[in-house]
Amino acid sequence: MPEPTVIEVEGVDAGYDGRVLLHDLNFSVRRGETFVILGGSGCGKSTLLKHLIGLNPPLRGEIRILGDRIAGGPAEERARALRHFGVAYQSGALFGSMTLLENVRLPLELFTDLPRDARDLVAAMKLDLVGLRPYASYFPSDISGGMRKRAAIARALSLDPAVLFLDEPSAGLDPVTSAGLDRLILRLRDTHGITFVIVTHELASLFAVADRCILLDKVRRGILAQGAPAELRDRPPHPDVRAFFNRETPEGSWSPNV
Amino acid sequence: MCHMTLTLPEACTAETIAPLWRASFDEVARLGSGDTLTLDADQTQACDGAGEALIVALYRQAASQGFAIASRDRGGVVARTLRLFDPATFRAAPEEERVTHTPEQLGRAAVRTARDACDQLAFLGEATVAGLSLLLRPGRLRLRDTALHFERAGIDALPITLLIGFLIGLILAFLSAASLQQFGVEVYVADLIAIGLFRELGPIITAIILAGRTGSAFAAELGTMRVNEEIDALVTFGIPPVVFLALPRVIAATLVMPILSTFAVVAGLLGGLVVLLGMNVPAVTYWNHVIASATLGNILLGLMKAAVFGLLVGLVGCSHGLQAERSPDAVGRSATAAVVGSLILITLFDGVFAVLFYILGV
Repeated sequence: MPEPTVIEVEGVDAGYDGRVLLHDLNFSVRRGETFVILGGSGCGKSTLLKHLIGLNPPLRGEIRILGDRIAGGPAEERARALRHFGVAYQSGALFGSMTLLENVRLPLELFTDLPRDARDLVAAMKLDLVGLRPYASYFPSDISGGMRKRAAIARALSLDPAVLFLDEPSAGLDPVTSAGLDRLILRLRDTHGITFVIVTHELASLFAVADRCILLDKVRRGILAQGAPAELRDRPPHPDVRAFFNRETPEGSWSPNV
Repeated sequence: MCHMTLTLPEACTAETIAPLWRASFDEVARLGSGDTLTLDADQTQACDGAGEALIVALYRQAASQGFAIASRDRGGVVARTLRLFDPATFRAAPEEERVTHTPEQLGRAAVRTARDACDQLAFLGEATVAGLSLLLRPGRLRLRDTALHFERAGIDALPITLLIGFLIGLILAFLSAASLQQFGVEVYVADLIAIGLFRELGPIITAIILAGRTGSAFAAELGTMRVNEEIDALVTFGIPPVVFLALPRVIAATLVMPILSTFAVVAGLLGGLVVLLGMNVPAVTYWNHVIASATLGNILLGLMKAAVFGLLVGLVGCSHGLQAERSPDAVGRSATAAVVGSLILITLFDGVFAVLFYILGV
């Protein structure tokens, strides 16, 4: 029996200021899978992510997370939808004036009635999950970029969301650190059953973590292909898909069509 | 030997664990060596971070008090938690908050201040050399940038300068007229306002506005450029940031101040006129007194002070911006430091000018 759907995207036009970057997007993400939004620079990956996490409402269509609309519904529905997921931003977006422990503890202070010692322990355990417990009293400026990304994941995990959105987790990291982050994603998926939605253009990470992916198309402004990464690579449904996986650019162009 | 059973809820989430946490630990506090706690998780279907924390905390407590834990764990929640987290490695107070003691804070502050002073001095030297080299090769000045900063610091600041200048003139006239009216010499309010505004208040008010509006903006702009590595890019191109970024701003601030100050003085004089007209002093009389007090010496002194204050605001704003640390909150800190530093220097130099003018008899 297939796993239930946690994210449904139906007829969504993605863009901003009335400008449509991606037309009529339709896809769904199932529970426990690692789903990757793939595409070249400027194809609208980050714009789509902003719609998915409710920072910008879609220009048209509907996005539901565990059945709750992230935009276009009543405020209570949006508040419920926001509690279903966590987000780890590309830069980490940690609060610079707080230690790592305080960063992870903050959502627990704001959204739970747990006593102080319980909150401290939960935060320490989340840092432990990402291997940063020895650095709990460090400030974000004291740690490396890879550690900041892991700390951001720990903070996003603090309220135990069902879905975790990661924006370009490998960006700016060396291959070894990036591979470590991939292993962390897989471990969290296996131990906690978290559904991951990852925006990336790193092919190595894609093949390491993704169960399924969608490939966005800059020229046709939509989804060019979706499926398991290896399947798309081995049996590309379109020449542009093959070109992307083979890192080829069209004749006379500097960037891929996707 | 005591035996106790603690039944975990079906869903061990933050909502269900929060009311259970204190009660659970109050209960197990009674257990000691040789006692047993049965942790019944048979009904538990789901367990989030709070549930896991409770399990870890109970095992940690058992280790410190010496009692044993037997778990009923049909769903494997306890086993999974213990596989992920080793209770022995989590201390009672998990992580020490970073505590700094007063002597350490004082020491750090002293080192920071000394380093800051050295940086300011280095910047001043660099800016002086850059300014002098500009005199030899004026073509190196980025005129378009200078004009842009002149517009932002000057024309955009005109409305607030006029408003505050007018209100200061109004308030000064009211306060002084109330006293001088008792002796029937309220007409001398014009002299007081004119001398006060030309020599002192005009430059000071304008400098404070410039420090708040423009000095902070300089520091924030340059601080953000530092965070974005734009300044590093200039350095690696071999372009001195002081010449490229600081000099246009400093020159714009220096040139704009006397003009802004003049507008503030005129607005202040108009404010004074409004009050004196209300006291039946004819406008002609008021202007005659103003013109008599506004000697060339007073006007030039005011303009010179204004230019120096502009130079100080520009230098302090740029130096704090260029020396900002590489974190987003450093931008805010450098903007604050620029305003505070500018205000201190403006006051200090105003005092120096007062003594100097007194000695020189001007």
